[in-house]
Amino acid sequence: MAAYLLALRLGRWGIAGFGAVAFLVTLLQSVGFYQIAGRTQAERQAFGRSISVLAAQFSVIIPLPTRPDTVGGYVQWRAFGFFAIVFAIWGLAAASGAMRGDEERGIVQALLASGLSRPRMIAARVAAFATAAIVAALAASTGLLVGVASGGETFSAVTALEAAAALAALGVCCYSLTLLVAQFTSARNTTAFAGMLFLALFLINSLSRTFDELLRWRWLSPFHYYDQSSPLAPGGTLDVRATLLLLGIAVAAASLAAFAFRYRDVGSPLIALPTTARRPSYEMSRSPVWRVPVVRDLYERRFSLLVWTVGLSALGAVFVLLTKAIVKPLLAIPELAPYFAIFVNGNIYASFLGFIWFGFAQLLMAGFAITQVARWTAEDSDGRLELVLSSPLSRPRVVVERLIVLTFGALVIAAASGVGVGLEAHSQSVDLNNRRLAEASLMLVPFTLVFGTVGALLASRIPRATVGILGAFAFASYLTVQLGPIFKLPAWAQDLSAFKLFGQPLTSGVDQTGLAIMLVIVLVGVVASAVVMERRDIGA
Amino acid sequence: MDVAAIRTSKLSKNYGLGRGLFDLDLHVEQQEVFGFLGPNGAGKSTTIRCLMGLIRPTAGAAQIFGLDCVHDYVAVKRKVGYIPGEMPQFGSLRGSEVVAYLGALRGGADLKRVRTLAERFNLDLSRRYREYSSGNKQKLAIVLAFMHQPRLLILDEPTSGLDPLNQQEFFALLSEAREGGSTVFLSSHILSEVERMCDRVGIIRAGRLVTIADLDELHAIRFHHVELEFAPGTELPVKAIRSAAGVEDVVAADDTVSCIVKGSFEPLLDALRGSTVTNLVSHEPSLEEIFLEYYREAAPAKAMTP
Repeated sequence: MAAYLLALRLGRWGIAGFGAVAFLVTLLQSVGFYQIAGRTQAERQAFGRSISVLAAQFSVIIPLPTRPDTVGGYVQWRAFGFFAIVFAIWGLAAASGAMRGDEERGIVQALLASGLSRPRMIAARVAAFATAAIVAALAASTGLLVGVASGGETFSAVTALEAAAALAALGVCCYSLTLLVAQFTSARNTTAFAGMLFLALFLINSLSRTFDELLRWRWLSPFHYYDQSSPLAPGGTLDVRATLLLLGIAVAAASLAAFAFRYRDVGSPLIALPTTARRPSYEMSRSPVWRVPVVRDLYERRFSLLVWTVGLSALGAVFVLLTKAIVKPLLAIPELAPYFAIFVNGNIYASFLGFIWFGFAQLLMAGFAITQVARWTAEDSDGRLELVLSSPLSRPRVVVERLIVLTFGALVIAAASGVGVGLEAHSQSVDLNNRRLAEASLMLVPFTLVFGTVGALLASRIPRATVGILGAFAFASYLTVQLGPIFKLPAWAQDLSAFKLFGQPLTSGVDQTGLAIMLVIVLVGVVASAVVMERRDIGA
Repeated sequence: MDVAAIRTSKLSKNYGLGRGLFDLDLHVEQQEVFGFLGPNGAGKSTTIRCLMGLIRPTAGAAQIFGLDCVHDYVAVKRKVGYIPGEMPQFGSLRGSEVVAYLGALRGGADLKRVRTLAERFNLDLSRRYREYSSGNKQKLAIVLAFMHQPRLLILDEPTSGLDPLNQQEFFALLSEAREGGSTVFLSSHILSEVERMCDRVGIIRAGRLVTIADLDELHAIRFHHVELEFAPGTELPVKAIRSAAGVEDVVAADDTVSCIVKGSFEPLLDALRGSTVTNLVSHEPSLEEIFLEYYREAAPAKAMTP
């Protein structure tokens, strides 16, 4: 019981954060539904049809909606579909931190030294995360019920609970699978390996909606079993068998993890590669990369940069394939011609690709910026910044070098992803303006720097809270673009979003005003960060 | 006239609630080895961080070789080698890469000097930093602090994690650095550490400097543990001993009396007149005991209020 309570305490911020996000998202989406769907049956049916068309663009991320003309169907698609990704990431991060992160921090050793058995420790961790996932999923359901009540309608609480149950089961399943992966990887690699596993499982399921060849493999994916339930939509149900299967996978994975944990050394993977004996070396590295500012930092994070670069290039190519596969049949539907005439500016492939790929790429680049900012704050909290500043190095220089490293990193990723998109578009005979594609890809750099400089300013002032605040800023910025038109937010408020500033460069060219605002934000951010960093205490 | 290696004037860093550093006046001469003693949380690391320009004092000033630690912090760092209280994380970097990285921040490190230091402490630089034990991390910190042969070494508990053999080696290295013209500012809570190395010692408690003394002065405050053994059946002169000037902590048991004598032995000997003492043992306290005794006396008067 004490281990369970400790695990809950260690994860309290995750519970609070994810619970708040889940509640807020379902509340806003359900309230938003009443703002945009209309009140009459005809209005809602028309709304449902347009959403179905729109949803095709996102089928690589979330499944197609069922009855989006109803609040239940709409929220199931718009919120609970998106939650599958959020809860999977939460499960991954929490399990990785609980297993190997806590080993590095010495918490696991302290628990085991207290007489707790390894299987009981795993059981306590899983039970605590299950509790956390249930709380956050219930918050999501509560948000829906509150939102529906605000629209003057009622919604079945049992149905809302069923949606929460499916979501929590997916989260626990991902948590337990990560625990299992953690037994076979080094502490540093657990997140990366589990992340790659989940990305593969996610893509197998989501791409199988477009590519039939993947249908026979999707049984491997927990996301497939989650998709079987859509209790919020009229006529939809909680697929009890699929949900129990998710829980069964969770129990099996946790049991295997506990079994493996019994036989491995704390701090090492179950199967460690043998190390060869070698003579000690007393030589300092002579590699020239360490002598060049910026290059040394890029070199140090070369593997993560490579993963981001290859990952975004590959995803860009996949999005071109999806565009081709989705747009071609849509063009054959005459009823959609008016829709395309209204919303599509010029080349439909470019418009579609610009919308789905660069929308997704913006999210990923914001994520890239946040990971870099998280690194800066970690350097601050673990004392590395203190040691760096014991060298004859000015603090503004540290800030500027960090941002230059971020700029180069973003440039490499953006350029590679642009090349990936361009090459795949060429091979698929998708007509794209190469200049526009280059401009749009390069626009990702100032976009990333907006988050980077805001993060640098926060890291200079309040490093411990930086990642949380920056994440909330990114989330709010994204919601502003997504919900601004629905809630009829004033234009100036919508313009505050970095996602809005990016514009639609692939179809409409670079938004000069948006670019100028982004550059001003970056410039002001750099100066402010340098000033604040110069005045703050380090390591106090 | 040489400028002081370290000079602070009313240096204060107030964290509120009585925590921090208050009105610190220090003067460390060049080529001096200065020990800075105090228990955990006394303000040693705060002082060092002020000197390193990592934190800004709320009042007062600190100078290193005449350079202001706040405004000239870059120039200050060129003259300083630093060992932090705790080594940070460098993840998957190898020891050789950490040295190259931090050496490059100083404009380059002397390959030969690094090799000599690493060999001396038997520090395998080809291993990844995360594989290092705490002792090896501390050895790496020593290499980083000494590799550019700085004029001033600011060392925050430098021997923590080192085994006795490596501690010996470290003290030898410190002596060589001093002979080479370096000044050393060394914080510690272990008196034996400063006892063997330092010219002068500053004692800090609750953010306030209690005293600065050279080792001879510290020894002058010296006291003695005394054990007296009386002939069987003798009435113990406990009352007379207790009333003797400079005699404290008198404990009587069976035929023996133990006490502490500060200053002259005359009052105690006067109190023993007429008693049959069969054995008298006196031994000097360790520097640690002197330190604790000094603390006990200094605390109520000087160090409680910020």
